[in-house]
Amino acid sequence: MPKRLFSVGLLTLGLTLTFGTAQAQSGILKLPLINDPIMNPVIAPDLGSVLINKVIFSGLVRPNEDLLPEPDLAKSWTITNSGLVYTFTLRNDVKWHDGKPFTAADVVFTFKAATDPKSGSRLVSDFSSIKTVVAVNPTTVKFTLSRPFAPFLTLLGHNAGILPKHLLDGKPLNDATAFNRMTPIGTGPFKVTRVVPGASITLEANKDYYGNKPKLAGMVFKVVPDINAQVAQLRSGELDWVNVEPNNIASLQNDPNITLKQANAVQHFLVFFNQKNPLFAPAKIRESMQYAVNRKAIIDGVLKGYADYPTGTLPTALKKYYDKTIKPIQYDPARAKALLAQAGWKPDAKGQLVNAKGEPFKFTLIVDRGNPSREQAALAVQQDLKKIGMDVTLQPLEFATLVRDYLLPGKYDANLIWWTTPPDPDQYSFYATGQDNNNAFFSNSKADDLLKRGRETADVAQRQKIYNEFQRLEMTNPPVLVLYYPKELQAIRKNLSGVPDLGIRDALRRSEDFQLK
Amino acid sequence: MTLSYLLKRVFHALIVLIMVGVITFFVVRLAPGGPSLLADPKLSAVERQAIEERLGLNDTLPVQFTKWAGQTARGNLGNSFLYGAPTVDIIMTRLPNTLILAGTSLLLTLVVALPLGLASGMRPGSAFDRITSTVSLVFVAVPVFWFGLLLIILFAVTWRLLPAGGMNTAGQEGNLGDLLRHLILPAVVLSAASIAEILRYTRSSTRTVTTQDYVRTARAKGVGQWALRYRHILRNAAIPILTAVGLQLPRLIGGAAITETIFGWPGMGRLSVEAALGRDYPLIMGITLFVALAVVAFNLLIDLLYPWLDPRVRAEG
Repeated sequence: MPKRLFSVGLLTLGLTLTFGTAQAQSGILKLPLINDPIMNPVIAPDLGSVLINKVIFSGLVRPNEDLLPEPDLAKSWTITNSGLVYTFTLRNDVKWHDGKPFTAADVVFTFKAATDPKSGSRLVSDFSSIKTVVAVNPTTVKFTLSRPFAPFLTLLGHNAGILPKHLLDGKPLNDATAFNRMTPIGTGPFKVTRVVPGASITLEANKDYYGNKPKLAGMVFKVVPDINAQVAQLRSGELDWVNVEPNNIASLQNDPNITLKQANAVQHFLVFFNQKNPLFAPAKIRESMQYAVNRKAIIDGVLKGYADYPTGTLPTALKKYYDKTIKPIQYDPARAKALLAQAGWKPDAKGQLVNAKGEPFKFTLIVDRGNPSREQAALAVQQDLKKIGMDVTLQPLEFATLVRDYLLPGKYDANLIWWTTPPDPDQYSFYATGQDNNNAFFSNSKADDLLKRGRETADVAQRQKIYNEFQRLEMTNPPVLVLYYPKELQAIRKNLSGVPDLGIRDALRRSEDFQLK
Repeated sequence: MTLSYLLKRVFHALIVLIMVGVITFFVVRLAPGGPSLLADPKLSAVERQAIEERLGLNDTLPVQFTKWAGQTARGNLGNSFLYGAPTVDIIMTRLPNTLILAGTSLLLTLVVALPLGLASGMRPGSAFDRITSTVSLVFVAVPVFWFGLLLIILFAVTWRLLPAGGMNTAGQEGNLGDLLRHLILPAVVLSAASIAEILRYTRSSTRTVTTQDYVRTARAKGVGQWALRYRHILRNAAIPILTAVGLQLPRLIGGAAITETIFGWPGMGRLSVEAALGRDYPLIMGITLFVALAVVAFNLLIDLLYPWLDPRVRAEG
């Protein structure tokens, strides 16, 4: 009997192997997700959801290749009442994926839900400036803001996909499980045709799309939780585009079918120094950190060079606002020691930094566990600070624990973390006194004033001036220690073309131009 | 096997389940951190509060416990935080996938491990025995994620023979050939360790049995090789093997977290990882209770199988 079983097994194996592999699916782009997404842009909680939503849902505007807003669902707009009233004229040729016409009522519905925390919205703070939103007629929407808010257009083109009122009206967005998980309806270039929980989401080109006709026949978002498995699937042709970490590059560099591209990411990686802790309150101490940490070594060693060297908290990706005239601060431990001495910290006989009372400069640096780049960067920071006599303990923690139990309650000394921001220089909520995301408790009245004026000023030249001033202030009174501006590393199969030079988030908003040969 | 014995066992099972539920409830909630939905440092205080309210996390722990206990007693395991859908529904969509993978690897395990274990147990010390012993030692020791990635790189990347992951090619769901091709690698990885384990059990159990008088008698009266092996030896060596297989079953139902994650297999194991990482309390509770139920049920089933396999147990029992 076992003999027969064995031969049956061999037969099956042979049969299945002769089926051949990777049936060529022409024109179907395959992208990875790490878990099932929520296909609703207003409540999407993670990057995977944000990405798939970019191709299903359109916004009023979208970022062009310079990350500036260009028309999308809105044909045109006017800004009046010194930046308080935005009036959008909508396209009249747009249909939802279920065939119903798109109107101003959908826009009003979307932003009412987006500004209501009870709906489960993740965009409440993005759009807290909206006072009223009304449909003037089916193709005209008028937003009235409670204060001038320069990033408004950029934020409209960022994550604010428009939702269909006729399918979602009447209950919190969070409760629309069927829509969010199985049958989302948008106006974007691709529509969902099939969802296999835990496995894949299949989309086909939207033939009624109002813009350029999509060149791809469709897309498949596959759930592949493990990054090494994603890389393997990219190499075997089962995925077409995977964003990778610097430590994955070695296995991809020599693959003739794969291109490695760098894209700008609007991110800054940083160390929070908790300024409620008297140790970090003086600006001199934080200034000295910029000399004490060898950031070039971190970029070259840990990130294999795939990052830009930092000045302040505005990353180089914000081309229009990043002040190129500021000279970045280079590694200079002697200078760091001199600054620390001015602040009252001098090395004792053993080389340990102590203050007048003989207390050591001692603190704990926390970092999230599991990401090799961040763990290694944290280790480098610890070692550099040890070299100038600080007593630094490194403590890796699970991300959720780090955020909930340490960062948000302010119960930490120092924390290596990162911010991903919309493509706008507004950093009011991060670095103005008492704001929600100011987890380092930085407080400086001049910075507050600049950040407030920056978000209220629409004129680009004036805004540039304001943010240049802010960046200069940061060099001597840094709110945080910025470590680097990372590049997004895109590993793409060579037969995929038409991808703009943008980060994947913004590139996917132009997915109708993607093409597979 | 009386009815009262069965009732007693069911009653015990119920107590075990309640204890598992209560302990898990407090362990997951008292662990540091919290639901990943709240772990976004960018959330404003207002957004955070709305989420906590919706998930029922703003109540005190005793209130949360009372609510949960009342709900569970009425058979409602609640909605998953991450999926927003009833926990039971989510488990039920993943369970068949795990059963396919687990069933295949169990079959593979038995088909490979039993004959090999029997053969090496009958000739201990032979070259064949030494080879199988060494190979099984290697498979017990090799880390699953490494072995999985190795097979992916060889079979999917280098030789392009098999798909690197997933359960179906998208759009090919229901195509048996496609499913089988996706099944081979994860099933091999998942069964590698259990083949080695069951092989060792079979080998030692066989060794004990082959020296028994009745085997010698059977051999002396000229029983054929196959009949000797499968009717006389394997049947008598079966009890410890059955126990070992029984111990594997709950692990198979609970899903193989690492194998399913590496191969992107949409089963229970990956669901548990997702639930644990996301601190999806209702889903963690649901999966734990479900697996506990499976363990209890399988133990009962194995106990009921013993007397059928071995009349001596029946006589004593």
